[in-house]
Amino acid sequence: MFPWFGKKSSAKTAKDRLTIAIMSDRSNNSFPFIEDLKAEIIEVVKKYIGVKKVDIQKETLDGVEALSIDVQLEK
Amino acid sequence: MGIVIAVISGKGGVGKTTTTANIGLGIAQNGKKCVVVDFDIGQRNLDMLLGLENRVVYDMVHVMDEGVSLKQALIKSKMDSNLSFLAASQTKDKSVLDSDKIYKLIEDLKAEFDFVILDAPAGIESGYEHTIEFADRALVVVNPEVSSIRDSDRAIGILDSKSKKVKDGQEVDKFLIINRIDPKMVQSGEMLNSEDILEILSIPLIGKIPEDKGIIDASNQGKPIILDANSKAGQAYKRVASRICGEKVDFVDVESESAGFMQKIKGMFL
Repeated sequence: MFPWFGKKSSAKTAKDRLTIAIMSDRSNNSFPFIEDLKAEIIEVVKKYIGVKKVDIQKETLDGVEALSIDVQLEK
Repeated sequence: MGIVIAVISGKGGVGKTTTTANIGLGIAQNGKKCVVVDFDIGQRNLDMLLGLENRVVYDMVHVMDEGVSLKQALIKSKMDSNLSFLAASQTKDKSVLDSDKIYKLIEDLKAEFDFVILDAPAGIESGYEHTIEFADRALVVVNPEVSSIRDSDRAIGILDSKSKKVKDGQEVDKFLIINRIDPKMVQSGEMLNSEDILEILSIPLIGKIPEDKGIIDASNQGKPIILDANSKAGQAYKRVASRICGEKVDFVDVESESAGFMQKIKGMFL
């Protein structure tokens, strides 16, 4: 924005990076039971089809909170 | 009944123990009965910073397990008769991790003191959860740098899910102390300023402590810097202690203090 000062302030960079890192930390750590939940989902799905891995993310869309569960199947 | 305040941080080395020592003494200087308790089993240093290391006979494990009375274990500071200290255990004893015993210890302290200040281990260490379990409030100490701020957000997350007050449906009030602010670096845009940190962590501010070389000298002597009326950090701690005691104290803009003319000009553009 002010090229005559040479470079972007590193504090601004820090703020931008922190905002994103903390947002992602919060969404991953918001449920302490998430690891247990993953294990149980794997157990249930495995009864019917092979599972490679399960990912769970908390998402907020238009003020509605949701759990997005991705089940990756074995080839 | 006294108020229990846990002094917490995400990572170690941000000045948690220094903050505990200064705030404890500051509260005592405000005429309130205050006890500071060293819960930082791994890095017990509060005794050193208060100049009490040679007077420790019994620690908290003696009180919890061996029938030593609180009266015997508490050490009264010579700097202010309102200030007492309870030492951390020498060893990593298991009973330090026993909730029921900690609950009883803290209830007994609450009955005797207006303020019970707990110096917690860093948020990533074991023992942290037990320190925050019975806290009414938390002082979150951060440095204006990325790892400290990020880790503190995690420590706050643990506080918000594991403390007894939260489990009982209440909230633990959290307050931010930004420690080791270098005004020149903030002015030149090389260090995060307090508004940015508050925006990222979204908890209310209770203190801005400038970097102060006198801190080392103070810890060398075992005399908290709050005793030095000329020290900028000491004055800042004094203001925090008064705020904790319920006084309304205006915030001093420590970030623009001592910044040179050129930096102020530059600061206007950045």
